[in-house]
Amino acid sequence: MNELAATLARARAVTPLQREHWAMSWLATVDHKRIGILYLLTSLVFFVVGGVEAMLIRVQLAVPDSHFLGPDTYNMVFTMHGTTMIFLVAMPALFGLANYVVPLQIGASDMAFPRLNAFSFWLVPCGGLLLHFSFLAGGAPAIGWFAYAPLNEMPYSSSPGVDYWALALLVLGIGSVGTSINLIATVLTQRTAAMTLRRLPLFAWMILVNSFLVILALPVLNAALVMLLIDRRLDAHFFLPPGGSPILWQHIFWAFGHPEVYIVAIPAFGILSEVIPVFARKPIFGYEFVAGSTVAIAFLSVLVWAHHMFTVGLGHTVELFFVASTMLIAIPTGVKVLAWCATMVGGRIRLDTPMLFCIAALVQFLLAGLTGVSLASAALDWQTKNSYYLVAHFHFVFVGLIVFAILGALHYWFPKMSGRMLSERLGKWTFWLMAIGFNLTFVIQHFLGLAGMPRRVYTYADLPGWGWMNLVSTVGAFVMAAAALVFVWNLLASLRDGEPAGDNPWQAWTLEWATPSPPPVENFRALPPIRSRRPLWDIAHPDRPDPVVGTKGAPDIVAPEKNATGVAAFIVSESAFFAVLVLAYLYYQATPQPGPSAHDLNLPKTGGFSLCLFASSFTLWRAEAGERRGRRRAMAGWLALTILLGGVFLVGQGMEYGTLLHGGVRVGSNLFATTFFTLTGFHGLHVCAGLVALLVVLGLALAGDFARRPSPALRAVGLYWHFVDAVWLVVFATVYLLPHLR
Amino acid sequence: MTMGRFLISDWSWGGAALPLSAAALAWYLAAFGPRRRLGYLAAALVVIFIALASPLNALADGYLFSAHMLQHLLLLLIAPALLLFSLPRSLSLALRPRCFGGPAVGWIAGVGAMWLWHVPALCDAAAASRPIHGLQTVSLLGLGVLFWRQILAPREAERLPPPGAVLYLFAACVACSVLGIILTFSPVTVCSAYALPPVDRLGLLPALRAGWGLTPERDQQVGGLLMWVPMCLVYLGAITAQIARWFAEPACPAPGETP
Repeated sequence: MNELAATLARARAVTPLQREHWAMSWLATVDHKRIGILYLLTSLVFFVVGGVEAMLIRVQLAVPDSHFLGPDTYNMVFTMHGTTMIFLVAMPALFGLANYVVPLQIGASDMAFPRLNAFSFWLVPCGGLLLHFSFLAGGAPAIGWFAYAPLNEMPYSSSPGVDYWALALLVLGIGSVGTSINLIATVLTQRTAAMTLRRLPLFAWMILVNSFLVILALPVLNAALVMLLIDRRLDAHFFLPPGGSPILWQHIFWAFGHPEVYIVAIPAFGILSEVIPVFARKPIFGYEFVAGSTVAIAFLSVLVWAHHMFTVGLGHTVELFFVASTMLIAIPTGVKVLAWCATMVGGRIRLDTPMLFCIAALVQFLLAGLTGVSLASAALDWQTKNSYYLVAHFHFVFVGLIVFAILGALHYWFPKMSGRMLSERLGKWTFWLMAIGFNLTFVIQHFLGLAGMPRRVYTYADLPGWGWMNLVSTVGAFVMAAAALVFVWNLLASLRDGEPAGDNPWQAWTLEWATPSPPPVENFRALPPIRSRRPLWDIAHPDRPDPVVGTKGAPDIVAPEKNATGVAAFIVSESAFFAVLVLAYLYYQATPQPGPSAHDLNLPKTGGFSLCLFASSFTLWRAEAGERRGRRRAMAGWLALTILLGGVFLVGQGMEYGTLLHGGVRVGSNLFATTFFTLTGFHGLHVCAGLVALLVVLGLALAGDFARRPSPALRAVGLYWHFVDAVWLVVFATVYLLPHLR
Repeated sequence: MTMGRFLISDWSWGGAALPLSAAALAWYLAAFGPRRRLGYLAAALVVIFIALASPLNALADGYLFSAHMLQHLLLLLIAPALLLFSLPRSLSLALRPRCFGGPAVGWIAGVGAMWLWHVPALCDAAAASRPIHGLQTVSLLGLGVLFWRQILAPREAERLPPPGAVLYLFAACVACSVLGIILTFSPVTVCSAYALPPVDRLGLLPALRAGWGLTPERDQQVGGLLMWVPMCLVYLGAITAQIARWFAEPACPAPGETP
């Protein structure tokens, strides 16, 4: 430990003072730079874990009829490999880079909510531990990363591994949403004044767009996981016949899963958009198109998940629509590829390691995109979906684009993080081993798939061609593992005695290079003037600066208040969560179930209690008015009344539950009871959370906290409370009123 | 009747739509005189005419839910946008009191119009009764104008700033997609009027059911998918236009900066 501390001290990553208690200063840090590095280290650790799992898979598949792992172990390793690589490697790595780089690029001193940031990070190791603890608790999940129903249900997977899997993903999902809310609030509210939204570096822009995607998509997965856990632990059957629908799991999972692909791809696009111009010594070609197409990609990605389900049997009509809309995604991504290529044309390209990785990522992504378009055609999809062709396709996206882009980004920003250059010689070794190994592994899998080898199987018969193709693939995987070892060696060796980097080793143009490497705790001692998208170019070439990128009159958006922005983003994510629960309710209520139904509910009584909840929105509005006018006593009074009304509503809900439970209705009774308790239960939970928050605000108000300075707390908590009321309006209308309309 | 003959022959005069269109044209000419933007008005009237007087209307009248949905899309999304394009840039559409002009009102108007008219009871009522059907048509056009006003108001100052407009459109897409998803996958018929056409006035049912393969279930699926996918593509087009508008604004320095 001490040796590492000394190394870090020599690398100037810790000051001599911090060296005394450096471990604690890392564990308790709220500095975005350290949290970013912690994210990256966690991701590296799990990359090794997931990589070892990949090697086990490839060894098992190296020869036909192999019994190296056996079917059960293979399924576990296969599930853990997918889950680890997506949730514990790709996402933490990209969040780590975003955490480290975005505040620097926008000239901020930290994230908008540093403690939320630390919390979100620590959820990652917690989630990782939960997931891997399943090995000790009766066996890891063996359900694939997509965990299709009904295999994920109790009768088919009775080991607690699936429960650990679901809990771990819930924890990780909450962390991801937290980080994304933080990133949105940071980019929107913490920019230095001259850094308008139209001057944002493309990486920061894409992280902003991406964060919106995360807060929409991850809650959808969280809802599915919650439903799965209710199925498994409370004997319900959301996804299990009779009544329950395994197809619904696929819908919800891919409604998350398809955006998820772009959630990890868009930051990679951002990396390419930063690195390629710097090493081509030209500004990005068509900044506006690269930025705008990102929005189009994000938009389309939430729309077209059903192409993952062509083989389910959705019907010809549905498939037609999704074939067309899926193929549309090729347009904005094509715009991006063209822009990157045009940036390189005529540039004085420097082939340093970061650029090599990005060029390879570009080429490999092009191939991934082409196979992607072929899979968007339903007819072809039927033939290739369950073969290695698909495995090759998505590994070209996840490894070929995303891992290569992340490696490029690490080589690019490592000097900023550590103050030391990575060894260029070892970097080139890493790159060539990686590029050769990757293509050796996965190019051949396209042909393996076309030759008919199914995916998700633990072994295969010795059919013509399959054996040697798999062997080549396995050899390639080991070459990639060697690349990873060289990379880790490079990190350690360069941290010890790499060349000092200086502020701006790559002669780049964005703000993170305008401060020492590694940056001081407060990030910037002074910011350079910002008039264009390349402030450091303007300083280096005062005779021919970039054209001024301006705003008409006022800046793009007058920086909103950060607490309200954060809560608004949180509300968006909560809306997505509730939307899934409401849709599930509607879906299951469409066909009448035997047993309890909506007609057993007490409409007048609950209507009365609902009025209390709606009235509390009014009283809260009065409290806010009181605060604005400085009438503290009136505010406290209205606030107390709000809390009282909320409490009365909860009592009413408790009575409704009491009646139902007394009448023998349980969560698992039938799908009405399941969906009813899930929906109203989660709403009740949110009411409780809102009440706690309101009580805290009331306490602060009574302690005189609001008298000294205007506090954004009431407005932020108020937004949340109004949202909880609005959700009840929807729930009340669907659960209580709709049955009487039909 | 064969489908081909039906498509050629079954044009109506559009009821009240024709005199109202003529009146709108006359009013426009009187108020603003002939100008190039008149083309947009003409396009809007053509769209309205297609929605209300073409065979589409005949199909939407008791035969096909999907035709009814297409009618909705034309009346709520396309025609109002074209109408707003036709207005001269100097015209103010500010609403009084100002709280009616906020983006929340516009958003609820646009999204609410879709949700409200697909509540089973209202959908059936509109299919069964002429006056309610007329009310539906007018309300779709009106609410559509309220919705698009935030994006396409003739005066730049009355539009949402582009980043806000993108979020506005994105949220509208998500809200309409949710309804589209419900319509696509719901096993219940939303509009029972389309499930069992009472009389086959035009003798089209065999061609629709057997020829086009549109069973009532599949018909509703197509309707839901129309709202889910093409409708969102309209929003996507608008989003792209907003981003183009944002980046196209002329360069002039932010306050406190010397150029």
